[in-house]
Amino acid sequence: MRYWKNLQENKVLKNILLFLAMLGPGVITGSVDNDAGGITTYSVASATYGYPIIWVLLPSFIVLLVVQEMNMRMGACTGKGLADLIRENFGIKVTFWIFLGLLIADIGNTATEFAGVAGSMGIFGISKYISVPATALVVWILVTKGNYKISERIFLLFSVCLLSYVFSALAAKPDWGQVAHSLVNPQIQFNKDYLIMVLGIVGTTIAPWMQFYMQSAVIEKGTTMDDYKLALADVVIGCVATIAVALFIMVACAATLHANHITINEAKDAALALKPFAGAFASAVFAFGLFVASIFSATILPLATAFYICEAFGFNAGIDKQPEDAPQFYALFAAILIIGCGIILMPHAPLIAITLWTQDINAMLLPVVLISMQLMVNNPDIMGAHVNNKAQNMIGWATTIILIAMTALLMILPLFDSFK
Amino acid sequence: MRLFIFFSQIVGCDVLDAQSQIVGQLHDIAMNPSAEIYPKANEIIIKRGKFDKEYAKVSWDDILYFEHEIRLKINAVQLIYSKEIPKCDFTLRRDIYDQQVVDIDDQRVVRVNDIHLLRAESQLYAAHVDVGLRGIFRRLSWEGGIDFLVALFNPKSPYLKQEEFIPWKATQILPKLGRMKSVLKLEVVKNKLSSIPSAALADIVQNLDIFARVSVFKSMDITLQNKVFTDMALSTKEELIDQLSEHDVANLITNIPADEATDLLMKLPQEKSHRLLDLLGTDTNKKLRKLLSFAKNSAGGLMTTEYLCLKADATVAEAFQKIKDNINFHGTIFFLYIIDDNGKYLGTTSLRRFYLEDPNKKLLETCYPENIHVFTGDNVEHIALLMERNKTSSIPVLNEQEILQGIITIDDVLEVLIGLLWHKYEEKL
Repeated sequence: MRYWKNLQENKVLKNILLFLAMLGPGVITGSVDNDAGGITTYSVASATYGYPIIWVLLPSFIVLLVVQEMNMRMGACTGKGLADLIRENFGIKVTFWIFLGLLIADIGNTATEFAGVAGSMGIFGISKYISVPATALVVWILVTKGNYKISERIFLLFSVCLLSYVFSALAAKPDWGQVAHSLVNPQIQFNKDYLIMVLGIVGTTIAPWMQFYMQSAVIEKGTTMDDYKLALADVVIGCVATIAVALFIMVACAATLHANHITINEAKDAALALKPFAGAFASAVFAFGLFVASIFSATILPLATAFYICEAFGFNAGIDKQPEDAPQFYALFAAILIIGCGIILMPHAPLIAITLWTQDINAMLLPVVLISMQLMVNNPDIMGAHVNNKAQNMIGWATTIILIAMTALLMILPLFDSFK
Repeated sequence: MRLFIFFSQIVGCDVLDAQSQIVGQLHDIAMNPSAEIYPKANEIIIKRGKFDKEYAKVSWDDILYFEHEIRLKINAVQLIYSKEIPKCDFTLRRDIYDQQVVDIDDQRVVRVNDIHLLRAESQLYAAHVDVGLRGIFRRLSWEGGIDFLVALFNPKSPYLKQEEFIPWKATQILPKLGRMKSVLKLEVVKNKLSSIPSAALADIVQNLDIFARVSVFKSMDITLQNKVFTDMALSTKEELIDQLSEHDVANLITNIPADEATDLLMKLPQEKSHRLLDLLGTDTNKKLRKLLSFAKNSAGGLMTTEYLCLKADATVAEAFQKIKDNINFHGTIFFLYIIDDNGKYLGTTSLRRFYLEDPNKKLLETCYPENIHVFTGDNVEHIALLMERNKTSSIPVLNEQEILQGIITIDDVLEVLIGLLWHKYEEKL
C-alpha cells in the first residue's frame, strides 16, 4: 500500500502516466502513415536514386509536423472533424469536389494496401487469389462484427513490427556517414522521373486522408486546448517515428539494392531483393512489416473514408449503427473495399500505373486540403485566439505553393516530352 | 409568384436599386427568431466585388419585390458598404446553412442542406430545413438532371416525392461556443428543449461534439440539467464534467441520485473525485463516501442511501406526514423502512399496506410479514434472485450488525444485469 502511495505521489511518474494516457492520435496516425503505399514509394525511390534522395525526408518531416499540429489544434479548439469544418465553412460544392477526389484517391490507396497484402503474402508462397479475398473478409468481419477500437489498439501494437525495418537496415550494413551527409545536402535533379519520386515521397508521407484521420482521432480522444502541450508532444513523437521508419526503409534499400544497381517496382520486390544482401531474415522481416502495415491501413482507410464522406454530407455513420440505419455509410465502406480488392484481383492489373495515379491524385488533392485548412486555421471565428502564428503560416503557405508548383510542373512536363 | 422558395435558389441573386442598377448579390438573410413560430426575415446582406468583397445591410422594408432578383426601394448611394460582414443576431447562411441542427421530433442530429422559405404577404419566413439527398443535388445544381434520370428508370421512385424536410418548429439550432455564444435567445432554446423527454435529450446531447454539448447543456435550466445528466452514459458524463467548473459539477452530483453519483465518482481519477467530494455539502459528502467504499457489483455498491425511514414507535399518521414532507424526494417514497433507536432494521412497509389503516395504528404492525433483506457484501445475482422470488422491486441492505445501510431498487439491478448479459452476448458473437 505504501509503495503504491509513494508511486502516486511521484511527480515524474505521474507526468509519464498522464502522457501515456494522452498518447494516441499522433502516434496512431504516424503508424498508419507508413502503409503499403509509403513503403513502396520509399523503397522504389531509394533503390532507384540511392542515398542522395534521402534529403526529401527532412522537409517532409517539417511539413508533416506543421500540418499535424494544425490538425490537432483545430480538433482541440473546435471539437469538430475536418470534414465537418470544410462543409460548414466552404459550402457544399467545394466539399463535394474535395470528397470526390478523396474517394477516388482512397479507392486507389486501398488497392495499394491490397497490393501490399498480395505482395507480402506472395513472398511466403500464398497466392493473391487467396490472400486478398481472405484479408478483405477479415477486415469486413473485424469492422462489422468486432470491436473497432480494440482492433485499432492491436494494430497499434503490431505497428511495433514497423521497427523491424531498423533490423533490415542494420543488416544491410549501410554507410551511416553518407546517410547523414545526404540528409543535409540535397542533390536535386531536374527531370520528370525524379520530380515524380520527390512528389510521391511527400504525397505518401503527408497523404490528404491522414489530415482527416488525425483530427478525428484528436476529437475522439477528447483533447482540448488545456492538453495542448501533451498533445503536441504526441504529435512530435508520431512524426519522428514516421520519418524514422521511412528513413530506415530508405537506408536499407539504398545500401543494398541501389548499391547493386537493382531497380524495383513494388515493395515486395524490395523484400525479395534484400535476401541476397541482407540475409533471409531481414527479407522475411521486411515482408512481415509490409503485411502488417498493409492490413492495418486496409482496415482503416475504407472505414475512415466512408466516415468522412458521411460526416460532410450529414448521413448517419458509424460502426455502432446497423446497416439499415446508416445505408450510405455501409455502402461506401463496402464499395471502397470491394473495388480496391477487385483492382488487385484483375488478372493483368496495371499495378504500377494504379499506384502512380493514386499518388498523383493524393498530391493534387493535398494542396486543396491544405488551403482549406490554412484558411480555417487563420479564421478567428473558428479558432478564437488560437489562430496560426507567422512561422506556422509561412511553412504552411510555402508547402502549399511548392506542392502546387510541383504538381503543375508534373502536369506540364509530359507535354514537353511529346515535343522532344 | 411561388409560395415556397429555397434559400439555395436565391442566394447569390442580383440585387437592384430603385434605378435598376445592380448594387451587389444577395449574401445572407438576417432573421428575427423570436417573433413568431417561424422566424421572419428582417434584413438582407448584400455582397459586392469578387476579390475585394464589401458588404451592406438592407432593411426588409426597403425591398420592393423579391423574385429571381431583388429590387430595392432605395438608391445605391443610400447603402453603406464595409469590408466586414455587418453584425446580425441570427442569419440563415451563417447559422443554419450547412450547419448541424437537432431534429426534435426524430431526436437526431442532422446537417442542413437547404432552407425552405415561405413567402406570405411580402414577408419571408423560414419554414423547413431540408436535410435530404435532393437538397444536396439542388445545391450542386444537379436536381433537374438527377430527377430526370430517376424518372427515366423508375418513375415511381419514392425519391421524387419524398422531401426530407424538418419543420422549423421542430428544429433546434445548436448554440456554438464562438460566434453564437450570446446570440441566440436562450429562451427559444429552453422552450424547445424542455419538450423532449430527458432520456432522449441525453441521447441527443451525447451525439453532439463536445463544445455543442456543453453549450446545449448550459442552456438548460437546473432541473432539466439534473435530469438529463442522470440519463447520460457514464462516459459522456465524464467528458462533460471536464468542461464544467468544479462548482457546477459539485451541484450536479448533489442533485442526482446517490447511486448515479457514486458510479461517476468511481470512474473519475481518485484525485479529482476527492476534490469534488470536498466541495460537496457534509451530508452528501458523508453519504457518497460511504457508498464509494463498497465493491461495485455488491449490494453496498449498488444501493442508494436515499430512502425514507421511521422509528419503531411511529404511527400511520406520522408516515403520511413523512411522505408529504418528502414529496419532491428523488428516491422512492412508496416504501418506508422502520428502524430502532440504534438504526437496526425492523421491517418494511408500503403505502399500499397502510393507506387504509387507522392513523393511530403503529406503523410496525403494517410491515410485510416476511423479512427480506440483503447484506452489503451480497452479489448482484443473489439480489436479483431474491427480488424475483419475492416479487419485490426494492430491497433493504443491512450490514453485519443488521443496521440499515441503504436500499436497492430494481432499476439498479437491471442496469448491472443487462450489462452482464450484453457482455456474454457479445462474447458469444
